[in-house]
Parts: sequence; C-alpha cells; structure tokens
Amino acid sequence: MKTYFDVEGDGGSDVLGQVLRQRERIAHAMAGIDHVVAIGSGKGGVGKSTLTMQLALALERAKRRCAILDADLNGPCQARLAGLENVPLLPGDRGMALPRTLRGLGVVSVGSMVPEAKHLEFESVAEGDTHVWRATREFNLFQQLLGLVDWGRLDFLLVDLPPGAERTLQYAEVLGPAARFVLVTIPSALARGVVARSAAALEGTPNEVIGYIENMSGYYCGTCDGVRSLFGEGAAEAAELGFPCLARVPFDPRLASASDAGEPDLPRGPALRAIDEAAAQILSRVAKTT
Amino acid sequence: MKFLCVSCDEQMKLKHAVGPDGGSVAVVYACPRCSSEMAMMMNPHETQVVGSLGVRIGPEAGAEAGTATSKCPFTGMLTDLGVPAAATGQVGGGQGVAGNGESASIPWTSEARERMANIPDIVRTSAVAGIEKFALDHGYEEVDAAVLERARTFFGIA
Repeated sequence: MKTYFDVEGDGGSDVLGQVLRQRERIAHAMAGIDHVVAIGSGKGGVGKSTLTMQLALALERAKRRCAILDADLNGPCQARLAGLENVPLLPGDRGMALPRTLRGLGVVSVGSMVPEAKHLEFESVAEGDTHVWRATREFNLFQQLLGLVDWGRLDFLLVDLPPGAERTLQYAEVLGPAARFVLVTIPSALARGVVARSAAALEGTPNEVIGYIENMSGYYCGTCDGVRSLFGEGAAEAAELGFPCLARVPFDPRLASASDAGEPDLPRGPALRAIDEAAAQILSRVAKTT
Repeated sequence: MKFLCVSCDEQMKLKHAVGPDGGSVAVVYACPRCSSEMAMMMNPHETQVVGSLGVRIGPEAGAEAGTATSKCPFTGMLTDLGVPAAATGQVGGGQGVAGNGESASIPWTSEARERMANIPDIVRTSAVAGIEKFALDHGYEEVDAAVLERARTFFGIA
C-alpha cells in the first residue's frame, strides 16, 4: 500500500502552498522595514507597552522612521497610549492603511478595533473549547496584521509583546530570525526570574537579544528633583541579568498620567534621558550586528 | 490529509460535500478506479481547528477565492461544489459587508466592499461599523472608494 509520501499533492487544498503564499505576503509587506525589534519580558506589568511607545518616540527623535505593532491582542494598550482608540481600520491603496498618531507615528493595535469594555472574540462553531484553538487563531490574526498592513519604508518596527515566556519564543518563530529582542524587567528578583526564563527560551533561536531595560528603577520625585528607591536597597543587584543592560528607567508619575490620556510625551527628566540612552544603545548594537 | 483506496492503492478524489450543518461538514471522496465512495465527517471542533490555521480546504482555485472574505475553512470546497455563498457566511448574497449576517446600514459599492478584504476578518465588522458611522455622520448615502479616501484623510491615516 502506498504511504502518505507516495501520494503526490494533498487532495486538492494545497495547504502547504497556501502557507507559503501567506509567508510571501508577509515578507512582501515587511520588505520596506529595516529592523524588527520585539519588546518582551515574560512578566506582566513591568511597563513593556509604555516603554515600547517611549522607545519609538526616542527613535523618532533620533530621526528614525518607526511604527509599533501591538502583539498583545488580548490586553492591547498601544491604541490608548497613542490616542488612537475609536479610529477605524481603513483599507489603503496597498493593503490596510497604517493608523498614525497626530505626530505621525504608525501604531497598529487591536485596541483601535475593540472597545475596552469588550474582549477580543473569535467566532466559533465549537463553543466551550477555546483553549484548543484560541492561540492558533491569535497567531493567525497577528500574521494577517503583519501581511496586510501597508508598512511602507520604516527603519524600525517595534513589536509590543504580550506576557509569557513561551509567548516570547512563539513570537520569535513567527517574526523570523532577523527579529531582535529587548527584554524589560524591574528591580525585583521575582521579575528577574521570569525575564531570565524568556531569555533562556530565546537562547535556542537565531534571534539576537539586544539587551534588557530595567524599568521602574527608582522613582522620580518632582519636588526634590531626584530619584529615590522604589523596591528597596539591593533590589537592583538582585535583578541583574547575564546580558547587557541598555538603560535603567526611573518611574515618573507624570508619564503615567500622560499615557492614560493618550498623550505620551515624556517631560524632561531622568526618565526621558534613560529612554534616549536605551534608544541610542539599540541603534548602536543594531549597527554593529547589521 | 489524503485518502487512499486500499483495494486499488489509488488516491481518492473529492466528489462532493454536505453541509455545513452546525459547524460540521461531510466530504465525500471517490476512488477514480473502482468508484468506491467514503465520507469524511468533521465535527465542529475539527472545523474550528482547521479554520484557526487560516487555510482553506478544497480545490485550489476555490480555496483562494474564499480566503479573503469567508470565515468557513471549507468555503473553497463548498463554493467549488456549488453550495450557496450565504451558507458559508461569505460576503454578498444579502449578507452584510462584514460577512457576519448583519445588514449594512448604508449601501456599499462593490469596489469599496472588495477593498475591505485588506482588513483582517476578525476585526472587519468593527472597521465596517466605523466607516459607516463616518459616512452617515458626513451625509454620504453610499460608501465608495472616495468615501474611504476621505475617511483616511479625516482620521489622519496614511
């Protein structure tokens, strides 16, 4: 009896061909992007999304063309950070038009499409078993966004990743070997442990981990114009990771309120200087390995 | 997935499909040599898993045609076999632009409707709603390519 491999074709669906064509569409859509940098952590609540937005703005200050793709499909923040809630997605001349902030930063986020009072729902003919197929459907949507958006010419596409060490690895596989990673942690051994797991997950991939950013590295006090400890003495040492630290960014309460309002301009101060330092480090390391 | 007629050692060919019915599709294959037939019956879970992959099952031309606008992974197969589009949730046939059975609140030209294939299917409904709101708020009686262009300008989108 013939084996599977003796029978040519797949019964007529050409599933492999469809997958290849999907990959070609993504490659074609991303052909104008010089660098893809994914901002991950593994840990939730460390400020990945806020830092992603700030890094994009810092790279634009450094005269680089940037856009953000919010890969956190279930907890999207970028639409609010960018002030792009309730802006409908629109077809463009070539694919889906890239939504832009008032200052011109391109931001694609499910948050523009699904109100915060709702969660992202996929239609299903198999209700009650979403755990079986949901992740596959989410990655399919992510790939659709990669392949459908008219990204144009970009120096950097920053991808804001969802939490989960395993998700970090899965996004590395989807984004391909050229995508680089920046991991975000905070000065706590608890966060360090999870970020270390994400770094370990990426070790087996061809993807470069540019370094990590320590967020909430103290807080900026506007009254005394100084940075004070947030997590206690010795916390920073406990959070050290075995790869380059790009910058330590103090918590600035002014940024928190501005971000909530969709006006993410960071006032001058230690946090802004640290973000600019992180962007400069990314530019330097990308230039070295390109 | 491939099907082999064990008696003839010959690949079976897709003959026709029945459904969809409650998310289930029955697909009949026949052996080109002995004409024996078998039916592959998929439960809703299997249909959903295949659909999650973003591929279409069925003859290649039909599968490609169904990719952009249908939510059913078997659209290609069913279209090729003459199953009405409405049964598979495809755009057209009285269905809303989003292909979800909702009636559009304002007419769309076929060109404008086709351009919505550039929006991922899962968020197409909300995109359609946003565009229709823009069109109605600005006094347009139909969504055409020019209205889509004006909406892009209005929202500052590239």
